[in-house]
Amino acid sequence: MIEIIIGIILSAYLLAGMGAAFLRSMQMFQLAGYHGLPHARWLAANSAEMLKCLLFFPHYNKLRKQSKKKLVFTPRVLRMCAVAIIYNAVLVLIILFLLPVSAKTVGFVVLLMLAQYAPILACFLNKPVEKAIGKRYIGDAKRVIDSLPLLTTVGITGSYGKTSVKYFLTQMLQTTFNTVMTPESYNTTMGVVKVVRGQLTAATQIFVCEMGAKKPGEIKEICDIVKPAHAVITAVGPQHLETFGSLENIIKTKFELADSIYPDGAAALNFGNEYIREKAGSLKKKVLSYALNSEDCYCTAKDIVQEADGTSFTVRFGGGEEFQAKTRLLGVHNVENIIGAAAMAYYLGVSAADISLAVGRLTGVPHRLELRSAGESVIIDDAFNSNPAGAKAALDVLDGFSKHGDDVFKIVITPGMVELGDRETELHTVFGRQMSAVADAILLVGAVRTAPIKAGALQSGFDKKNLHTFDSFNQAFAFAQMLDSSGKKKVILLENDLPDNY
Amino acid sequence: MKKNLKINLAIIFGGQSVEHEVSVITALQAAAHISRDKYEIFYIYITKDSEFYTGEAAGVIENYRDIPALLKQLEPCAIIRHGGKVKLVRTDGKLFRRSVIALLDIALPAVHGAGAEDGSLAGYLQMSGLPYAGSDVLAGAVGMDKFVQKQILQNAGVPVLPAQRLRSAAYARGKSAALTELEQKIGFPIIIKPVNLGSSVGIKIARDGKQLQSALEHAYLFSDEIIAEHAVTNLREINCAVLGDADSAAPSECEEPLANGEILSYADKYAGGGGSKKAAAFAADGGGKGMASLQRKIPADISKEQRDFLRSTAVKAFHALGCSGVARLDFLVDGDDNDKIYFNEINTIPGSLAFYLFEPVGIPYADLLAEMLDLAFKRARGKASLNTSFNDINILQTANLGGKNRK
Repeated sequence: MIEIIIGIILSAYLLAGMGAAFLRSMQMFQLAGYHGLPHARWLAANSAEMLKCLLFFPHYNKLRKQSKKKLVFTPRVLRMCAVAIIYNAVLVLIILFLLPVSAKTVGFVVLLMLAQYAPILACFLNKPVEKAIGKRYIGDAKRVIDSLPLLTTVGITGSYGKTSVKYFLTQMLQTTFNTVMTPESYNTTMGVVKVVRGQLTAATQIFVCEMGAKKPGEIKEICDIVKPAHAVITAVGPQHLETFGSLENIIKTKFELADSIYPDGAAALNFGNEYIREKAGSLKKKVLSYALNSEDCYCTAKDIVQEADGTSFTVRFGGGEEFQAKTRLLGVHNVENIIGAAAMAYYLGVSAADISLAVGRLTGVPHRLELRSAGESVIIDDAFNSNPAGAKAALDVLDGFSKHGDDVFKIVITPGMVELGDRETELHTVFGRQMSAVADAILLVGAVRTAPIKAGALQSGFDKKNLHTFDSFNQAFAFAQMLDSSGKKKVILLENDLPDNY
Repeated sequence: MKKNLKINLAIIFGGQSVEHEVSVITALQAAAHISRDKYEIFYIYITKDSEFYTGEAAGVIENYRDIPALLKQLEPCAIIRHGGKVKLVRTDGKLFRRSVIALLDIALPAVHGAGAEDGSLAGYLQMSGLPYAGSDVLAGAVGMDKFVQKQILQNAGVPVLPAQRLRSAAYARGKSAALTELEQKIGFPIIIKPVNLGSSVGIKIARDGKQLQSALEHAYLFSDEIIAEHAVTNLREINCAVLGDADSAAPSECEEPLANGEILSYADKYAGGGGSKKAAAFAADGGGKGMASLQRKIPADISKEQRDFLRSTAVKAFHALGCSGVARLDFLVDGDDNDKIYFNEINTIPGSLAFYLFEPVGIPYADLLAEMLDLAFKRARGKASLNTSFNDINILQTANLGGKNRK
């Protein structure tokens, strides 16, 4: 009798542990975009944590509370959970009834250890189902796109800047057209499909669709669904070099968008980016070029003046029309993004006056060079998915603070950048050098990844005692607040904040 | 062959108003002229008890002869916002039936009179986040208050007759003092109007103290507040409508309604003078004539200078009152004072949407409606762009709400 009760309690305890390990693993799997390989790597690197979850399930709750992004129970995740429960139940029955007594214990231990890999396995088993569901949704989205009488779709892609341009273009178009954009994170095929099915209505005149890609073919896939009339390509750079394989592949993939637009459609291209400018020559579509300080472009910005409360500049269109603009946003790269949006908006018929009004009202994308005050100090929050060009722009903004005559103490907190492939070390060293020229204190998060940054900074003669390394962002931030700035106002740049799975 | 998706348009009419029936005509007339290729129409009929009903049967004018029978064919409904969408939902929950009838894209309010045209319906739609044609809450409310609108228009340089206002309670406390004051400040003949009603309801002219008292008491039957003005007795009424919004607006042709008595009576205005039955006798096209069937002269028989002045003043007043879509502005021409022109009142949702005044200036009814709906989308976009803040930070999430620091 007592054995049965103990047996039940022990089984329940271990079952909870399996659940905990499974959910924690699922959370990270979701962050990894349901890609098996990087997730398996993460599991290998965090085996101690997973074991703790397995043997002491309340640990999961603690980890969950510390997470920046918790597991979202999407229908897909629920389907994976269901499949995992079913196959585990089958395995339990097999172990109980088919295995010899001697092998039962081993069988259960293996089952327990496999719990953390269950999301990957469930995902694999579910592939045909997901594919069928995805196909149905895609077909549905295509029908929606075909049946909207007023719709014109503008696709936006680029290694960076695309989210900003999407926000800016939407705000400009809203002055004149009923505009819908893909919200923040919906830039994958299924994300776009969801927006098309859920947000577009017969009243929608323009759909601004951000398209993200990690490998060739992905932009084309989205274009086949939303059938863009026009395109904006903001930048080509080494983002996701790891998954793309080569820079040529990145360029090719971004231009899948320009190739997919209507024969009479227009592509707004950032001529400030050398890869784009070179590739533009071979494009047989109308090109709306844009670049800073380039009078021969379709749209340019000149007389750019950084002020403490924003940036003022003159926008000039190829036809000669120009207007003064002032934005609350910081950073020259934002001006570049603004003229990218302005080029397309102007081409689509928004008046210069309306564009000017919209520019004045632009608000930043959250965590993209967002200015915030925290008591005595100013925080430049650039925590979102950093890239080399964006990081340089953020440092320029930080540098701008001392140029306005204020005596400030400049602190950079960064864990470095990811997904830069085999150029990571090189680009991080450059980042360290750039930082040393601007910052009064450098606070690095995570010793391994940031080692090249530290090396770069110290090579350029940055004082070792003003460079510190921490285990977590919170520790670094707490240190920054305590730091003695000898009475000067602190400006803290938060450059990139990595998700939990890095 | 691909099938086009349509814009879901709610036409909302009826309501707790003395102009309930006229509103039905305005709404169904508009429905008959809206492009069905582009719009899917959902009729939302508000009963005199302010209950919302919807259904195809609400789009057929003959059905309004027997309203209890009509309501049996309709479903009680509400407009609600949920999940970022505006939904027309059934409110009589039944098992195994979807509660959502349709996702709405836009609304065309076609209500008249206090309790509906006064911004109340606009407020309901505003709260739901549904773009709607016509004036917003403030313009609708000011458009219904004859005293407040005079203050604004006077400021804007639009000629208005000076007026006094008097609440029923103040009058009841000291009747003779109130009467004397009105007599001294304005002088007979005095016209008494409920402050917030259109359509000539409750309006009377008083030539002596006794008539003044009865005019007041008559007006207080309809409203708690009245305004008193010096009555222009040798008058012509000229109306001019305006289409547009705060950015740009254009006037219509001018009309002169032909009244039988001194002021256009309720029976004149909507029943064509032939008794109340006539309002229910409609043309078979589902439209009915409504306001357009009134005896009127279009264009009004006035000089070019007067016409120019009226039309530009109408636009000026339209802007000053912050109107949008269509409004009809009614003016008085004082025959005893060199044909001096005064603004008299405004209808922010005019009967028949004043389409008969725009046709003479080359705007067919279908185009008028299309423009009103476009302006509605424009206003909704403008509001969205002002509110758009990507900092969706909940202050309460991070604030220390109690005495203790919660970990």
